[in-house]
Amino acid sequence: MPAEGYVLGFDTSAAHCAAALLHAGRPVAERREEMSKGQAERLMPLLEELLACAGIGWHDLAAIGVGTGPGNFTGVRISVAAARGLALSLGIPAIGVSTLEAQAEGLPRPVTVVEDARRGEVYLQSFTADGASEPALLPLTELPPGIAGHALTGSAAALAYAEVQAGEIVEPAMPLAEAIARIAARRAGTPQPRPAPLYLRSADAAPPSDPPPVILD
Amino acid sequence: MTRTLTFLGLESSCDDTAAAVVRMEETGPRILASVVAGQTALHAPYGGVVPEIAARAHAEKLDLCVEEALAEAGVTLADLDGVAVTAGPGLIGGVMSGVMCAKGIAAGAGLPLVGVNHLAGHALTPQLTEGLAFPYLLLLVSGGHCQFLIAHGPEEFTRLGGTIDDAPGEAFDKTAKLLGLPQPGGPAVEAEAMSGDPKAVHFPRPLLDRPGCDMSFSGLKTALLRARDAEVAEHGGLRRQARRDLCAGFQAAVTDVLAEKSRRALREYLAHAPEHPAFAVAGGVAANATIRARLEQVAAEVGATFAAPPLKLCTDNAAMIAYAGIARFETGAQDGMDLSARPRWPLDRSAPAMLGSGKKGAKA
Repeated sequence: MPAEGYVLGFDTSAAHCAAALLHAGRPVAERREEMSKGQAERLMPLLEELLACAGIGWHDLAAIGVGTGPGNFTGVRISVAAARGLALSLGIPAIGVSTLEAQAEGLPRPVTVVEDARRGEVYLQSFTADGASEPALLPLTELPPGIAGHALTGSAAALAYAEVQAGEIVEPAMPLAEAIARIAARRAGTPQPRPAPLYLRSADAAPPSDPPPVILD
Repeated sequence: MTRTLTFLGLESSCDDTAAAVVRMEETGPRILASVVAGQTALHAPYGGVVPEIAARAHAEKLDLCVEEALAEAGVTLADLDGVAVTAGPGLIGGVMSGVMCAKGIAAGAGLPLVGVNHLAGHALTPQLTEGLAFPYLLLLVSGGHCQFLIAHGPEEFTRLGGTIDDAPGEAFDKTAKLLGLPQPGGPAVEAEAMSGDPKAVHFPRPLLDRPGCDMSFSGLKTALLRARDAEVAEHGGLRRQARRDLCAGFQAAVTDVLAEKSRRALREYLAHAPEHPAFAVAGGVAANATIRARLEQVAAEVGATFAAPPLKLCTDNAAMIAYAGIARFETGAQDGMDLSARPRWPLDRSAPAMLGSGKKGAKA
């Protein structure tokens, strides 16, 4: 059964602090502040302001939805760590929602979400009537041909459109944090894993280049 | 009369995820639980701690460690008086994960939040474990830090000197890597050194010819590399006995430098005429038996009590963070939900910067 009470959704996976509060499935308050740094300092005060604006406190929440990326590694961890701390102290579920899935929320299918991953790559996930593809990190030049008839959304939608020359670019149906809260509210009734960042890109660490010496007995 | 205070502590500034519960009673502090989840295996293939790998592990491990610590202590969040968290210095991705998790816990539980300097955690540990009275001299010597501090009070430290480049623990790790020994390097190099001749290869004693308590260890690594390469060039590989000798020579050089600089630091400390002179060591390198024995001897030479906390409280842990948080809280300090994670945060802000005096400020 979806959460009937208040559900808080938030995200810092890119250059913003975004949050939305739902009550009985309807948005009651929303905040979004653009910032390239300082999310770690701003996030909790912003959430407290949002709750105060709706006249409620932390203990009135029934569930939390948190953006798990893909996106800025540090930014994703800021929200995920805070959500896990809040879930622990409030005894409510914190549910991870990928920002790809959140951006497709409320849009007609088929739709493909394409997010700029820099270095000539994109994070991509397609949503059709049959379900969702696996989220993937791909070079912009190797987009799956199957997305040709899809609506495109996300920060790299225009780049993808230029590559596939098909479909149309559409705007998200709702603010990101509201979508995260809505998806979390739907899942809150069933057991969910703890939220974990969806990195898609590896940690970029290379084993040492100089081999150890040969040991002589 | 001091009232009983119970704090949760979180630590995630390097490669250990830790949570602990410490209770300050009238009779003194008591550790109710101390959980440490290490990441050694995750970093082993890279020959050193990889910050992004560390941050990823912390973010998904912190809340589990907290739950484990609370269960082990037999308390709930309702029994706590505050949440203390390492807010720096350290690897920023990990510190930030810890700070955000602590904020979430403090906000939801309606508890005060106290940001703790990781170095203060180490520096106050001799009080937690040995009940040392202020002022005492502390040598913090670990994989990431090396400095002499006089602890005057829970928030008052004078730094007498420290490393101007690598920390000794880092030098041990690099030595192990260069000699094909496993990580962490400290125990591996120490074990090899036991059957090596410390005089077989000469190592420099950096900065001993200069006054003061500053140290340098990066030159030892270079000397070791040269000696290794000479050995390999001559014999087509590294003979086992040569490896033991290199380990013994390296360890002897580190020991000599730490001992002589400790003598100087003790002289400066004793000038403050402390009533009960005490010299404490903390940090993982304090686990090295050779180094520890020499430092103990140096303390005995001047009649100072020698204290080394048990190893599990010498290395990174959250009990020291909870304890330092209580100490700060008792002075009336508390942080807001805008608490910042700081990669750089020297304990003694009056001392000139030893490392990284650029626009980002002093690292130590």
